[in-house]
Amino acid sequence: MANHSQLGFQDASSPIMEELMRFHDHAMMVALAICSLVLYLLTLTLTGKLSSNTVNAQVIEIIWTILPAAVLIMLALPSLRILYMMDEVNEPNLTLKAIGHQWYWTYEYTDFKDLTFDSYMTPTTDLPLGHFRLLETDHRVIVPTRSTVRVIVTADDVLHSWAIPSLGVKTDAIPGRLNQTSFSASRPGVFYGQCSEICGANHSFMPIVVESVPLANFESWSSTLPS
Amino acid sequence: MAGEGDSEPGKSFKLLGFLDVQNVPCARDSVLYGSLGSLVMGLGHFLATSRVRRSCDVAVGGFISTMLGYWFYCRYTLAHQRIQQRMLKEGMRNRALFEGSYLDPEKKQTGSERSDS
Repeated sequence: MANHSQLGFQDASSPIMEELMRFHDHAMMVALAICSLVLYLLTLTLTGKLSSNTVNAQVIEIIWTILPAAVLIMLALPSLRILYMMDEVNEPNLTLKAIGHQWYWTYEYTDFKDLTFDSYMTPTTDLPLGHFRLLETDHRVIVPTRSTVRVIVTADDVLHSWAIPSLGVKTDAIPGRLNQTSFSASRPGVFYGQCSEICGANHSFMPIVVESVPLANFESWSSTLPS
Repeated sequence: MAGEGDSEPGKSFKLLGFLDVQNVPCARDSVLYGSLGSLVMGLGHFLATSRVRRSCDVAVGGFISTMLGYWFYCRYTLAHQRIQQRMLKEGMRNRALFEGSYLDPEKKQTGSERSDS
């Protein structure tokens, strides 16, 4: 989960999120280079050392065509690589349905047994000591660690969005439409997210909690599910 | 036991307010090498031509090109190491899993050598 006043990313818990963070670092380095150049040119302009007569028109046209093209290539190639990586067909081991309602989520595990449950936010008055305010739910989504999980996201009433920052997942829940995403939790743990599309009065109070457990634990949990 | 000069975990220094040079791999080295390259190229150009204004331009250009050049090299090396680390980890795990069993590749190899002799 995010700490108070946190601006940066949460720690990555999936390979895709790690790639996204690396791309962000790369983009920031390119941004630093551009900002340095702009800062220098601004200083020259403000001190009167740079004007429209400083450089020949043809030369400046060539410079400000080649440089942006180079910047575009430096940013677009890694970006497209990650974009296609996120859409790869990766034979998921588990399929989970997430259905958004006002203002809770419903999850369905229909691969092996027909399990459906609702996930409501734990009210602050009922929160046990040490638990996270506005983030905990009564029922968590249990997934096995290091297994590809396919999530099919939809909604029952208005637009919602199923998002978990540390897993690098954000998918819109649209009524009448099935959106698909997948993730693979790299390690056991509890990962928090919140609804990311304005959906009414309690939009901020329908969190998502995914608990990643070792496969053996997941198998023993699923064997206890009512058939 | 912490060594001298170890920074506190989570402490960050953001250059121009957005690039965390302490926690982003290769960022600190890129900026430092960029500064060094800028100094060398700018000073060298000035010593060769005695033109202040053009030397400043060369220094800024040198900073950007050296910083980005080292950044690409460092990130490429890091990615290469990560792939090798993953292959090593996979190999060690497979060895621990299959050693002595019929799936052991070393056993298959020695078995084929014996059948050849």
